[in-house]
Amino acid sequence: MTLPILPTAIVGSYAMPGWLERLKTEYFARRISRHDLDEIHDAAVKAAIKDEEIAGLDIVTDGELRRDNMVDYFVERLPGVQIDRSSKKFYYDFYDGVVQGKLPTASLGLVQDFRFLRASTEREPKICITGPHCLTKRIRNQYYPSEAALAADLAKVMNLELKALVKAGAQLIQIDEPYYSGFPEDLDWGVQVLNMLVEGVDAHIAVHICYGNRYGKPSWEGSYRYLFPRILDAKVHQLTLEFARRGGEDLDLFKEFPSKLELGLGVIDVKNHEVETPEMVAEHIRRALEVMPAERIYVLPDCGCFHLPRDVAFAKMQAMVEGTKIVRKELGK
Amino acid sequence: MILNLNHLHAKSAAPNAQAVVETLYALLEEGLIERSLFARLRIQLDWIQYKQNFREVVSVAENRDDRGEQRIMDIHVDTRQVIAGCLRPEILRAMARARATESERDAAPDRIALEDFKSFRNSIAWRFNSLYWRKLNDWEQASGKGYEQALPGGSSDGHQPEAVAASAAEFWTLLQDMDSKKQLPQEIFLLEIGVGSGARCVMWLNCLRGLDRQHGTNFYPRLRLLLGDYSLATLEKSKPALKEHADLCSFVVLDALNPLQTLSFLRHKILHVHSTNVYDNLPDEEVLRRDGRLYFVHARVYIPMNDAVRIATTFDMPLERIHAMVERLLEIGPDALGDPARGLSFWQEIWKAARLEERLMGLDELPDSPFPAGLDAAKLEDMLEDAPSDIRFHLSSGALESFSNTLPLLGPRGYLQVEDIFVTEFDQYRVGFHGPGKLDGSVVNWVNGALLREVAERAGFDVHFAPFPYRQGSKTSILYTTQRE
Repeated sequence: MTLPILPTAIVGSYAMPGWLERLKTEYFARRISRHDLDEIHDAAVKAAIKDEEIAGLDIVTDGELRRDNMVDYFVERLPGVQIDRSSKKFYYDFYDGVVQGKLPTASLGLVQDFRFLRASTEREPKICITGPHCLTKRIRNQYYPSEAALAADLAKVMNLELKALVKAGAQLIQIDEPYYSGFPEDLDWGVQVLNMLVEGVDAHIAVHICYGNRYGKPSWEGSYRYLFPRILDAKVHQLTLEFARRGGEDLDLFKEFPSKLELGLGVIDVKNHEVETPEMVAEHIRRALEVMPAERIYVLPDCGCFHLPRDVAFAKMQAMVEGTKIVRKELGK
Repeated sequence: MILNLNHLHAKSAAPNAQAVVETLYALLEEGLIERSLFARLRIQLDWIQYKQNFREVVSVAENRDDRGEQRIMDIHVDTRQVIAGCLRPEILRAMARARATESERDAAPDRIALEDFKSFRNSIAWRFNSLYWRKLNDWEQASGKGYEQALPGGSSDGHQPEAVAASAAEFWTLLQDMDSKKQLPQEIFLLEIGVGSGARCVMWLNCLRGLDRQHGTNFYPRLRLLLGDYSLATLEKSKPALKEHADLCSFVVLDALNPLQTLSFLRHKILHVHSTNVYDNLPDEEVLRRDGRLYFVHARVYIPMNDAVRIATTFDMPLERIHAMVERLLEIGPDALGDPARGLSFWQEIWKAARLEERLMGLDELPDSPFPAGLDAAKLEDMLEDAPSDIRFHLSSGALESFSNTLPLLGPRGYLQVEDIFVTEFDQYRVGFHGPGKLDGSVVNWVNGALLREVAERAGFDVHFAPFPYRQGSKTSILYTTQRE
C-alpha cells in the first residue's frame, strides 16, 4: 500500500442522490425488484467511485450507497436478528430489530462489496463497517444479560467477516462507533468489544467516532475528553474524529495524552452546505500539525457525506484535496 | 355530478344541499347545463367562517385540456352567504362567466382584476398583508381596535398565562435534565419568531426566572433570547416591554421564511424556538389532487364591478384609475391619496371588497416546478400516500419554508414549539374550510400540519400536535418537535 503523506479519503458514505433515495423507497413499496435495485446500486457505486477519483482522493470507498443507513445494512445481514420489515416507511428509517437467542455465526456478505470496489478503482480501497457498540444500541436485546454481552457476540461474528475481508485483499478498514459520544458511560465495555472485533485482523484499522450525523444533524454535543485515556487501549491504528464543525480545541487532547495513534482529521463540515475553501482546509491541517506529525495524519471530512447534495459533496472533496496539497507543499512533500 | 358537503353545520347544510341539487337538476332539465358537463361537475358546499373573506356566494374553478375542453368544473357555494332565491341566478352567472371567452368577458366586464392569474402565494393579497403589518398603527387607529381584537378569541392564545407558564416550565425541565448530564452549554440560545408586542416574551422570561430562583438553578443569566421579526418597527415597539430582561435579549431583523439565513452562526445551537400565529399569516397556495393528477390553484384578486363603481364614486376617481391607485397604495401606503385618512379609508374599502377568482392549472401546464424548496411532485405524492385520493389542500408554502429553515437551528436537544391553527390530518380538508380568509387587514390560512409532519420526518424530526387547553373553544393547536431516531 503506497499512500502520499496526509492521505485523503472520505469517512465512508458519499452523497446519496435524490433519485436513488426515491428508488430505494420504491423498492420498499414493492414497485421495483431486488434485481433492478442491485443493478441501480452497482451503477450508483461506480459513479461515486468515479467522483472520488476525479476529486483526487487517495483512498476511495464505495460511498456506502447500497446501505439504507449505517445500521440496517448490518442488522438485516446478521443471523439471529429478527427484523420487522413493515417498520420502514421511508428507506432511511431504521428497522425494528430484535435478538431473542444467541447469535449464530455466518457471513455478512461484505466481501462481495469489497471485491466490487476493488475491481472498480486503481486507488487504495477502504471498507467501512458499523461497530458492535452502535449496533447494540439499535437492536432490542431480549436474550443477552447485558448490552455488553450482546456487543461481544456481535464482535465475534463480525470479526470473522473482517478476517474474510482481509483475505480478500482489504488493507484499510474503518469501524464506525458514533454512539460512543451519546453513551460515554459505555466506553469501558465499548473498547473491550472493539478489541474483540479487531482481534487477529491484519489490516490498518481506524475507528471513527463523531457526534452523530443522522439526518445530517448532530445527535449529541460535548467534548472528546470523555474518550481519554480509555480509548488509547483500543487496538487500532487510527482515531478518526470531527473537528471542522466543532473547532480544533479537542486536538490538544492528543498532546495531553501522547500515544502512537494516528489521527483521521475531520476538516470538512458535512452538516453545512457551504463549501470550504482550500485555505480553510489547510488551516485545519496546520492546527493538527501542532499536536501530531504529518506522517500520522489522514485528512477526511468530519463524517459521511450521505446528506450532502452531490455537487456540494464533490466540491467539498475537491477543496479538501486542494487544501491538503497546500500543506504538502509547505512541508516540501 | 358529485356533491361535497365540506362542513359540519348540519342545520344549514341539509336545506342548502337540497336547494343546490334542486337548482342544478332544474338547470339540467331546462338544457342550461349540458349532460356532458353534468358528468364532470363537482359542487362543493363550504361554510366560510371568516366574516370577511375572498369568496362570492357562488364561484367556479375550472381546468381545460389542450383542445379547450373543460376537464374540471368545480362550483363552490358559500352556504353562509346563501339567501333565498339567490342560487339559480348566482350559479348561472358563475357558470356563464367560466364558459365565456376573454372577448365576451371584456365586452361585459363585471369586475376589475388587480393582477393576472398566478399561484396565490405570489398574489397581490400578500402585498396587502405586508402593508397591514407595516402600517398597523395607522390601521388600528382608523378602525379603533387593536389587531388582537380581530382574532376569534379577541386576544392571542400565545398570551394565555397558563400556556406561557407551561412552556417555561417545560423548558426549565429540559435545562435541568441537560445540566444533570453535563450537556448544558454556557450560553443557552432561544429564538422567538414574530415578536408582537413583546408581552409573551416578558411573561415567559418572568416565569423562567421565577422557577430558576425557586430552585436555585441559575439558568436565567445564561439565557440568550433572540427576538426576530421582519419589521424593525415591531421590534422597536416591543423593546420597552422587555426592558427588565434587556441584558438577555437581542432584537434581530429576520425573514420568518428563512431564519437560518440570518442566524446561520447558531446552526444546531438553539435549544428552543417559539412562535405564535406566524405560520398562518405566511404566503400560501392550494393544490388539488383529482383523478390521479395534481393541479395548482391559480388565483387573482379582483374587485366586483358594483364595489368598484361605489369606491370610484366615493373617492372621486375614474373607474379605470382604481387599479393604478391600488398599486400606489401598496407602494407607499395611505399617503398615496394625499390625505392619509382618505388613503386609509380607500385601503379598507378595497380590501373589504377584494375577491379571489380561481383557475386550476395542471402540473404539466406550468413552465417550471412550482413547489417550494425541498419539495417536488414525487415527494408530495409519497407524502400523500395515505391521504384521500381526491382532495384540495393547502401547500402552506410559507410555513413549510419557514419550518424547513428553522429546524437546522435546533441543537441535538432543541425543540420547536408553535401555537397556530393547524390541519393535522388531510381528512380535515374534507370537512371544513381552512382559508384563505381575512382578519382585519391581514390574510389567514390554516396551516397544513399533516404536510409539515411529513417534511419534518425526512429532516429528522417527529412533529406532534396537542390541543390548546388553556382557552375553551380555541382552534389553536400546539406543534412541537422531537428528534427522530
